[in-house]
Amino acid sequence: MSVTYLEAIRAAQARALAEDPRVFIYGQDVGAFGGAFKATKNLAREFPGRVVDAPISEDAMVGLAVGAAIEGMRPIVEMQFADFSTAGFNQIVNQAATLFWRTEVPCPIVIRLPGGGTSGSGPFHSQSMESVYAHYPGLLVFTPATVEDAYSMLLEAVALDDPVIFCEHKLLYYHLKAERLPTEALPAGKARVTRPGRDLTIVAYSAMVHEALAAAAELQPEGWEIEVVDLRSVKPLDTDTVVASVARTGRLLCVGESWPWGGVTAEVLARVASEGFELLDAPPQRLNAKDTPIPFHPTLWAAHRPTARSIAAAARNLLRS
Amino acid sequence: MPQIPIIMPQLGESIAEATIVNFSVQAGDTVEADQNVVEVETNKANLTVTSPCRGRVRQWLARVGESYPVGAVLGYLDATAEDAARVGLDTSGPAGAAAAADLNGKSEGGRPAQPPGVEPIVRGLPVPASAGGASYMSPRLKARMAELGLHAADLAGVAGSGAAGRVTVQDFERFVAGLETHRMTQASPMRVSVADAMRRSWTRPLASVGLPFCLDPILAHRKASHPKAAPTLYGLRALALALAENSAPAGRLVGQKIVHPKAIDIGWAVEVEDGVLVPVLRNADRFTLRELIPQYEALLEQARQRRLSPEATGGSIATVTNFGTFGLTWATPIPLPEQTLVLGMGAGRRVPHWSAEKHQFVPIMEANLTLSFDHRVLDGGAAGRLLTRVVHLLGHPERL
Repeated sequence: MSVTYLEAIRAAQARALAEDPRVFIYGQDVGAFGGAFKATKNLAREFPGRVVDAPISEDAMVGLAVGAAIEGMRPIVEMQFADFSTAGFNQIVNQAATLFWRTEVPCPIVIRLPGGGTSGSGPFHSQSMESVYAHYPGLLVFTPATVEDAYSMLLEAVALDDPVIFCEHKLLYYHLKAERLPTEALPAGKARVTRPGRDLTIVAYSAMVHEALAAAAELQPEGWEIEVVDLRSVKPLDTDTVVASVARTGRLLCVGESWPWGGVTAEVLARVASEGFELLDAPPQRLNAKDTPIPFHPTLWAAHRPTARSIAAAARNLLRS
Repeated sequence: MPQIPIIMPQLGESIAEATIVNFSVQAGDTVEADQNVVEVETNKANLTVTSPCRGRVRQWLARVGESYPVGAVLGYLDATAEDAARVGLDTSGPAGAAAAADLNGKSEGGRPAQPPGVEPIVRGLPVPASAGGASYMSPRLKARMAELGLHAADLAGVAGSGAAGRVTVQDFERFVAGLETHRMTQASPMRVSVADAMRRSWTRPLASVGLPFCLDPILAHRKASHPKAAPTLYGLRALALALAENSAPAGRLVGQKIVHPKAIDIGWAVEVEDGVLVPVLRNADRFTLRELIPQYEALLEQARQRRLSPEATGGSIATVTNFGTFGLTWATPIPLPEQTLVLGMGAGRRVPHWSAEKHQFVPIMEANLTLSFDHRVLDGGAAGRLLTRVVHLLGHPERL
């Protein structure tokens, strides 16, 4: 018996619905159809009236969720693709993010964003939105990289009183598997040292954790011990774990699938440079998607996002500097 | 009548600026095209700036003795439109501004000159943004060295494995771990202090010159004197007199300025246990050799007892070191970091000397006198002249 990343997300939602009558799911085709990626498969049947189809308006979806939260509900909003959340951007960053700070009424909503690249999906179905939402105070941004984290962090997101942007990675949906669902978990906001090392710290999150682990495995026969830190949530950002890792290794490479400009990797480098400058034995580096819209062509797409190979190449340069 | 700017030309590769030595023509003078109008000094040679075309010098903006970057407008010519056009200078735009865009004063083929873009004014040579290489020390390496109290000089024996041979933290930790296998003792505060001074001094380009001189006049003078002056004091007094005549060689170079000494205060090196102390005779040019003896002896005794007061040391402009007391005939001492000069005195030896009068070799006592100096401040010639002057003064000890 094994469980996929997608099944873990479905299982977490089923448990949240079962355990808390205030929880409901709202999104396009989440009901009878089971969602664009089947993350809500059969939930409408299991929880009648609590898994509700929405009109094709992200603006309306989030607006309704904010209103329901004000009335004491704990909605989970599913975006079909993370890219489409921009159509509800105003409700997310101006209403949901600021609500508690304006009114002291909490806004316990979870917005699930299936994001990240899959081959051939092009500019409107591949984007990674975590850097954009992390910019806004009042929002929490979770980026689970493992089946276990997808399950436990989604449950935690539902339980939290703050609005959470829950970034799921589509590449992980079907292929990433675990033996069973977890019974215990690290709290969100704590990074995890996924692989201990000595020579270089690679900080990553979401699908890039797996690319970083593959790069670390590629570099091991060359004599390099690479430490991989999984941020798990990009906001809050666990600076302490990152700086502690750099203290061990002296070198930092931060990898993110979103664009470089003002993003998560820039924030990690800025924090390490300002809080741990004297720990660095080489200039901190980062690797992001190329600073262009995401290409359709599979060959271009493969060159556009960081991969194990490009991460290993960047790591070699950094290790030799 | 168009105004044509006279511009500091590109005087050679890697020359970014030049200093005005003089103006060959003054405002109101008439000049021909390509006539020498300004003499300038660069770090390599004295060169001339020529007039861009025939005209009359309207005014000079530049001043003698000041340095101007390549492309700076030094002054303006009044020229006829025909003269300006003949050499391809466009005069249609506002006087000066448009024409100044062409830094070399060359023709743009008659096209209207482009308005000047925003160009950085280079003061001195550009430094590569990524000054990497063996001398690069990472923040972590610096922090670790500070933690352990180490200096860059301590890493001289570490072969770096990083880019361009830089020492990485791993190299450094291996080096430190390797030291742990040796017996280690604490260096004395005196040793650490001398090491610090020498390390700082060695950041400069130091050179030495030397000259043998006849000791016999000093030996004869000493024999006849009561009380007797130490040989070091003869050297110190002679150096003081020579520097009183011209103190420039004892100046220090700080940035682009020579800092001249305020007084002829000269120190001398006294060996003490595990180090060296440098007591100072103030205004050594104003007292005779004989007058200096009591103070010299008193300070020497205080130094040997390690009881020199802070006022008795420091602030000197040069140092004398008598390495001859160790039986050495030649050495290249290092000046103190805040000084430009150190005069060294070697041990005397009886050597054959060709006497022109007697037409034969005669035995004389000879010793070497050395002068080590900061080559940024003075060159072999100036150092040689100073040393020759000291030797000359030592030839007449009765006048010291």
